[in-house]
Amino acid sequence: MDVAQDARVPEESAERGRAGVQMAIISNRLESIARKMQNTLFRTARSGVLNTAHDFSCVILTADCQLLATAESLPIHTLIGPDLMCRAVLKYHSEFRRGDCFLHNNPYEGDTHAADHCLIIPVVDESATLRFFVLAKAHQADCGNSLPTTYMGHARDVYEEGALIFSATKIQTDYKDNEDIIRMCRTRIRVPEQWWGDYLATLGAVRIGERELIALGNEMGWDTLRDYSSAWFDYSEHKMAQAIQRMPSGRIRVSSQHDPFPGVPDGIPVNVDVEIDAAQGKIVLDLTDNVDCQPCGLNLSEGCARSAAMIGVYNSLIDNSVPINSGSFRRIEVRLRENCAVGIPRHPFSTSVATTNLADRVSNPVQRAIAEIAPGFGQAEIGPIMPPAMGVISGRDPRSGQSFVNQIFLGISGGAGTPLTDGYLTYIHAGNAGLCRHDSIEVDELHHPIFVRERRLLPDTEGPGEHRGALSIYVEFGPGYDSPLEVIYTADGTVNAALGTRGGGAGGLAVAQKRAFDGAVTQLPACHAQSLLPGEFMLSTSCGGGGYGSPLDRSVASVVHDVAEGWVSRERARDVYGVEIVGRGGDLVADVEATRRRRIALGASD
Amino acid sequence: MRLACDTGGTFTDLVVEDGADILLFKSSTVPSDPVQGVLNALALAAAHYRQDLAAFLARAEMFVHGTTRAINAILTGQTARTAFLTSAGHPDVLVIREGGRIEPFNFTVGHPEPYVPRRLTFEVGGRIDASGTERAPLDEQGVIDIAAQMKASGIEAVGVCLLWSIVNGAHERRVGELLEQHLPGVPYTLSHQLNPSLREYRRASAAVIDASLKPLMFAYLDNLQRRLQEAGFAGRTLMATSGGGIMDARDVARAPIHSINSGPAMAPVAGRHYSARDHAGAPAIVADTGGTTFDVTLVRDNRIPWTREAWIGQRMRGHMTGFPAVDVRSIGAGGGSIAWVDEGGLLHVGPMSAGSTPGPAAYGQGGMRPTVTDCCIILGYIDPEFFLGGAMALHRDLALEALRREVADPLGLTPEEAAAAVLALSTEKMVGAIDEITVNQGFDPSSAILIGGGGAAGLNAVSVGRRLGCAQVLIPEVGAALSAAGALLSDLSADYSRIHYTTSAEFDHSGVSHVLAELAGRCRDFARGPGAGALSTETSFFVEARYAHQIWEIEVAMPDADIVGPAGLARLVDRFHATHRDIFEIEDSHSAIEFITWRARINCRLHRPPQSRLLSREDGADTRTRQVYFEATGWTDAEVVLFEAMSETAQVAGPAIVESSFTTVVIDPGAVASLSPGGGLRIDVRPG
Repeated sequence: MDVAQDARVPEESAERGRAGVQMAIISNRLESIARKMQNTLFRTARSGVLNTAHDFSCVILTADCQLLATAESLPIHTLIGPDLMCRAVLKYHSEFRRGDCFLHNNPYEGDTHAADHCLIIPVVDESATLRFFVLAKAHQADCGNSLPTTYMGHARDVYEEGALIFSATKIQTDYKDNEDIIRMCRTRIRVPEQWWGDYLATLGAVRIGERELIALGNEMGWDTLRDYSSAWFDYSEHKMAQAIQRMPSGRIRVSSQHDPFPGVPDGIPVNVDVEIDAAQGKIVLDLTDNVDCQPCGLNLSEGCARSAAMIGVYNSLIDNSVPINSGSFRRIEVRLRENCAVGIPRHPFSTSVATTNLADRVSNPVQRAIAEIAPGFGQAEIGPIMPPAMGVISGRDPRSGQSFVNQIFLGISGGAGTPLTDGYLTYIHAGNAGLCRHDSIEVDELHHPIFVRERRLLPDTEGPGEHRGALSIYVEFGPGYDSPLEVIYTADGTVNAALGTRGGGAGGLAVAQKRAFDGAVTQLPACHAQSLLPGEFMLSTSCGGGGYGSPLDRSVASVVHDVAEGWVSRERARDVYGVEIVGRGGDLVADVEATRRRRIALGASD
Repeated sequence: MRLACDTGGTFTDLVVEDGADILLFKSSTVPSDPVQGVLNALALAAAHYRQDLAAFLARAEMFVHGTTRAINAILTGQTARTAFLTSAGHPDVLVIREGGRIEPFNFTVGHPEPYVPRRLTFEVGGRIDASGTERAPLDEQGVIDIAAQMKASGIEAVGVCLLWSIVNGAHERRVGELLEQHLPGVPYTLSHQLNPSLREYRRASAAVIDASLKPLMFAYLDNLQRRLQEAGFAGRTLMATSGGGIMDARDVARAPIHSINSGPAMAPVAGRHYSARDHAGAPAIVADTGGTTFDVTLVRDNRIPWTREAWIGQRMRGHMTGFPAVDVRSIGAGGGSIAWVDEGGLLHVGPMSAGSTPGPAAYGQGGMRPTVTDCCIILGYIDPEFFLGGAMALHRDLALEALRREVADPLGLTPEEAAAAVLALSTEKMVGAIDEITVNQGFDPSSAILIGGGGAAGLNAVSVGRRLGCAQVLIPEVGAALSAAGALLSDLSADYSRIHYTTSAEFDHSGVSHVLAELAGRCRDFARGPGAGALSTETSFFVEARYAHQIWEIEVAMPDADIVGPAGLARLVDRFHATHRDIFEIEDSHSAIEFITWRARINCRLHRPPQSRLLSREDGADTRTRQVYFEATGWTDAEVVLFEAMSETAQVAGPAIVESSFTTVVIDPGAVASLSPGGGLRIDVRPG
């Protein structure tokens, strides 16, 4: 990471005031451009993972590859990675013209994982000087893997994974496609029309970003924008330093553990050394004391390793007053090592699942560690993901006769308790911060030949706490018509739950099961491809989120509300939260005196 | 004589159209009894005519009302105790919603509570699938049992949304019948009848919101009509709707969700009219600036845009109505928006607002934080002695003190520099909101005119227009009450839709013809019923369509009322490609197109387009000058002109201020203001 430097502040205060006004105006403009890019991608994409689940990001970088504006992009996609990928473009290409566009999905050169196709446009001024990059990253429904899934948890290496990999490959010149590349993709990616539609949507997004940036440069002057960027980074760094200075200094090692998977029979332990240096306004995260790359698809790419660690820090600040860009990043140092499962991957180890499973096992201990050092900051752990209800489904649609492959987002919860709020129900996982959407039952049943029999929250699955974690979501789905359905998923959290912090408890575990035609329910492996026949159902339970603070400190009114809504049983209210509830139906109240006695008996401090 | 009355949070605006004259009146809203506020505004108008209220009202044939009553009831939790009936296995439709979140690193805001609590949610056995086939029969006994439970828990309204009721509504209809038998007198809403659209959350949300408003809005509208009658009104009472039309009040009482956004939805209707009147129907950006919000819409090709994604409250954090509504973008920027400087030295405006209590610092009601209005007083734009025609005295010293302490000193600027910076940033936020509905949709705002409405519109309309590159800004003569004026201009209208899925590759000609014929029939029925006696009626057809495998439809105006043969289909397909390219920069001419929802809208014109002009209620005052501050000029002498006294040939060159009883328009240096042909204030932003 970059070394911290002192923010340059103009000496004349009136000048500083005017600079502050211009900075606010330009930053609004840039965020608005990134939002325009996102809107285009969302509204025009063809695959459900993009047009329903919103699994994509659009960002703007400076000519020297510093992340400048992100709108509301997925953190795991964007904190670190876009910078590395733009550097790859600079490494392999030296002259840029309007009309150029590059396709990149190389996880050994900055991409998250091979399923995230990125389109990168170098934005040049009239004299062909490079001024900015715009980048759109979109998770593909299929990327040509050896199985119909974009998450190859069991792949021993990149060859078994099987994705087509592009390294800063020029896909457009003079605004025209390089048809050779298009044909490669059409030949090796399942449901090529869907890929083509998504490519067009992503291209529309970066072209709109380019057009808008050129208009901005012409209006404001390119040098003004360059000076703005530098001042904006300094401002953001200053805000980050102040945020860190509100915490106490401290140092702690926290561990986490990914569940056993094919290739890693004991799972993958993760150690994070976290040091808050309040005096210097800096946080150091050391991930070097961890296992080497493993023969499975869980290894992190460098972008994911750095982003995942930094997500734990930004999640810990609680309020969102620090801008997310390369300026505030200067105050976080992430130490990685080469050939490490949570570091810099060595080719040909696979990083197929890098954005989710093991990445969450890096973010979560960081925010839990910060909570332990700094009361009022940090968070509990967010639920690990990829239960079957977030799997990739494929097959042939008997209604149209066409084959399909798509990721579904039917029911994943997982939000962690924070110092101020209960876990956000539809958080999904640490890496996407809840920005991805959930599928509508009707949309899924219309677009895929599936039938969703049930989707509901499961009581008593929250990580208990003063601020509790989110509940688990249970989903039951299967083939909707007379044709089998393949479901491939990579569920973490069937063994190791999301832990609580500062006295909070763990969230519920993930469960993967199958209900046979005769009603018999069997357990399924955590990382698995299951073919379902008509009449069979997949039963998916997502992880609950961990709790923050002792459940004995939870407000009695909140516990009563949880019981009235059916989120927490009366027994659990009494045994875990120490709240004795009387009354029935909609008229529940706490017995104040019995609750006080109960809480003391359970060890409440007062 | 026709009357339109818009009850807002602070003021109740009344517009009287009396033959060729238009008059504006403003009265304070009475929160405890809003109908009283309406009657007070009417009394002001009667007093102007030196008539008693009964005599005045007897002359009125029509009263059109817009109100924040429904939205306020939702925001303050005063709606009916409402139950939600859902398909068995899916009790959490209102809890899980469609997921999603804003502000990834903001953990001070939790997950939203469902509109109907889970304890008042009941699962109904039975299931229809995507093809409309019944997979499990309706559990009628279960519904009867639920009715008994609802009776026991004092339920006052019921929203029903079953999966796939849009394809086969039999189960929902039967639930309705059972509720009438076993829960008589309790109003209910069936999702497929109210809002026949795909996606269960949106449909369910619309159903429960609508049901929850029924007891309240029925009582309110009943009370309004009764008291108007008692006061002497014998005409027709109509309500403005979120869809930008008007409906008979009794019809709104049956589907009160129509009234949720009735105020803001009217401004674009007015904007469309004034663009047609003064600018030959040029594309118009219609911006309504009130005390707390800035609402903006783009009117193109004489059409008002609509959306299915209207939210009550913040996007993702509030409740989606899922109900077709005029696409109005709102941001927290208005006269009351607070200016502040963060610890890093960055200036912000909003999103917090001082509202009407305590209001801007200059109100002297205890507001300590500087607002946009305070900055306008400091810069000399607003005359503290002439606010609302002098009805309210303002304190410049308090404004100055607040701005100095909170903004100017922390930034090291003079107060006037700081105030100008606040306005510049406020302008930028408004431009950002406008960009989202223009550039974002592939439309160049510099080819539009900017129409400003609302009490605070004129303060920076010229600088917003300049920043957008618009040639002209129009502040209609009724600009201060643009929503109420829109209510007078809107047509009696109804919107019908049906889902019928087909593709361009295998187009179902007979099925679509059948659907279109049915929609046309319903429009004809409307024209014969509520629309009887209209001067003219107009029916237009739309289809919501998308490329194969896309999921978000775009609305395409159909070139023909029916699709006859391959040539008719080809015309529709071409129209779709062009519309897609218009919005998103790309088209995919080889891709099949999926047609989903077919819509027909009927407009019944109840009145001739008015030719009236604002009646001057002021005596011609002499022109004055006042010191005002612009960033470009510093302090300078500006001419102050009374709008009502402007002659048809007057040219007011900036720097200048045009004032009326209800609003102030700042004419920046270089801009020139004159009266538009219809009597509004037209400002040439970049005179030639």
